[in-house]
Amino acid sequence: MQKNNSSSPQTDKSLLARRRFLRNLGLLGATAVSSFTLLEVKAREQKANTTGAVTAEKRWGLLIDTSKCSSGCDACVRGCNEEHGIENEGNDATRAQWIRKIDLKDKLTGSESSVPVMCQHCDSAPCVDVCPTGASFKRADGIVLVNKHTCIGCRYCMMACPYKARSFIHETLTNQKPAAPRGKGTVESCTLCVHRVDRSEDLQPACAVACTDEAHSAILFGDLNDPQSKLATKMKEIGASQVRADLQLNTGVRYHGL
Amino acid sequence: MLRSLATVTHRTIVSVLCAVMLITTAGFWFAGAVAQPVIVPAFKGEQCVADTNLMRSDHMKLLDHQRDDTVIDGVRGAPYSLIGCVDCHAQRSDSGAAIRVDAEGQFCQSCHAYAAVKIDCFSCHAAVPEQARQIGLLPDNPMPHAEINRVMSLLKSTDYHAKEQQFFTTN
Ligand code: HEC
Ligand code: HEC
Ligand code: HEC
Repeated sequence: MQKNNSSSPQTDKSLLARRRFLRNLGLLGATAVSSFTLLEVKAREQKANTTGAVTAEKRWGLLIDTSKCSSGCDACVRGCNEEHGIENEGNDATRAQWIRKIDLKDKLTGSESSVPVMCQHCDSAPCVDVCPTGASFKRADGIVLVNKHTCIGCRYCMMACPYKARSFIHETLTNQKPAAPRGKGTVESCTLCVHRVDRSEDLQPACAVACTDEAHSAILFGDLNDPQSKLATKMKEIGASQVRADLQLNTGVRYHGL
Repeated sequence: MLRSLATVTHRTIVSVLCAVMLITTAGFWFAGAVAQPVIVPAFKGEQCVADTNLMRSDHMKLLDHQRDDTVIDGVRGAPYSLIGCVDCHAQRSDSGAAIRVDAEGQFCQSCHAYAAVKIDCFSCHAAVPEQARQIGLLPDNPMPHAEINRVMSLLKSTDYHAKEQQFFTTN
């Protein structure tokens, strides 16, 4: 009962036929899959045209000019809290934080900078990868969100986020704003103010508005995909980098002067 | 003597049994006495966002559909917004303050209590419309006038705004 390794011409032929068959099957499958994908993309586009659904044509992002951001100013944080009804709920250890102001100091040169850090709206977001229910997701236009209707509060995404951008709501909340429903048992983070920018990009996220009102204008919101956009031209002009670029997450929030 | 005693015990047992039966099945005999839900009329608007019968039977489906459309696809200004339901259906107290639409006896509660439905929507979503003013869409909100005018002109074209304005002029 030994297996014969050297095959006869006969088996060679049937092997070839088998290979050809498998290859054709593969090709057929690939064509089917790609045409289905195309159809789906088409359907999505059509849906977008008729209903105003967001598409991948745009990719929203922020450019933060750290040279204009001053230490001790927390206007963006206050603007964000006001917009989303984030009050001093809970205690210091568990309070929701959509933006954190961080002061950095280079020990060697002594140079200091102050930066707001919020959800970086990664292109390949670790929080999306780990979510067991699909509640942590990336919208077609690049905004990373929590769908609180399907969030089970497991907090894997908080563990996975390298930017510590997400908060968990521990307590029962009251008096939420209609534009920003928030509640106990779910994870939340910066939404790039979807409820504003979906209506018009000119509305700008609340942090950017607050920063401009403070005459700093350190936060610029816009379309990363459009080379003509104010954001893209500014970025080209002054240059910008990603926080932890080594992670290759292709963040939607970029910093100048870090 | 022995015989009459037996009859008495017999009678007692039968009447006790009858009483027990009546008590345990009371829910069945007096079911008509369970109060029908009182559906408070809408505070605003002439008609609902869809046919009234459809709203009665299928409002949860419309809401589910819309929430996915809005949260996942960013569709705004569609008719079955929860903000809209609250805006039209929340009552005002005598002092003019809005009453939570999910408070006892209120629109989103009385039917649900009757049908033993419990919804958690308003643990996150605002249950009173006043705060809708803070979105910066409605006429008398605390935002500066220049900002309001800017927002208004931006939103003129969307049906959301048209609806909103309609609510507020009819009121
Ligand atoms: C844990 C919090 C939470 C709970 C509970 C919740 N939602 Fe939401 N809901 C949200 C958030 C956050 C949004 C996104 C808001 C936005 O982007 O404007 C949203 C958006 C929506 C929207 C689209 C926006 C609008 O008002 O039209 C609908 C519809 C909706 N939810 C319906 C429901 C219904 C129905 C329930 C109850 C079955 C519910 N939600 C429970 C958090 C919640
Ligand atoms: C424009 C204001 C308006 C909006 C927005 C609105 N409604 Fe209504 N709704 C009404 C009016 C007015 C009626 C009564 C219609 C009638 O009597 O035929 C009504 C009736 C209903 C009824 C039937 C009540 C009954 O008498 O049995 C239900 C259920 C309902 N609405 C649910 C909703 C839900 C859920 C939403 C949000 C998706 C909503 N409505 C949004 C104005 C509104
Ligand atoms: C006319 C009576 C009535 C009114 C008024 C009403 N509901 Fe309902 N609702 C029901 C009934 C009955 C069910 C359960 C249907 C079923 O289980 O098949 C239900 C179910 C729901 C569900 C799904 C619950 C679940 O567990 O799946 C949601 C969400 C809901 N209603 C939201 C609302 C909101 C929001 C309002 C107020 C704007 C409202 N309803 C007003 C009768 C009503």
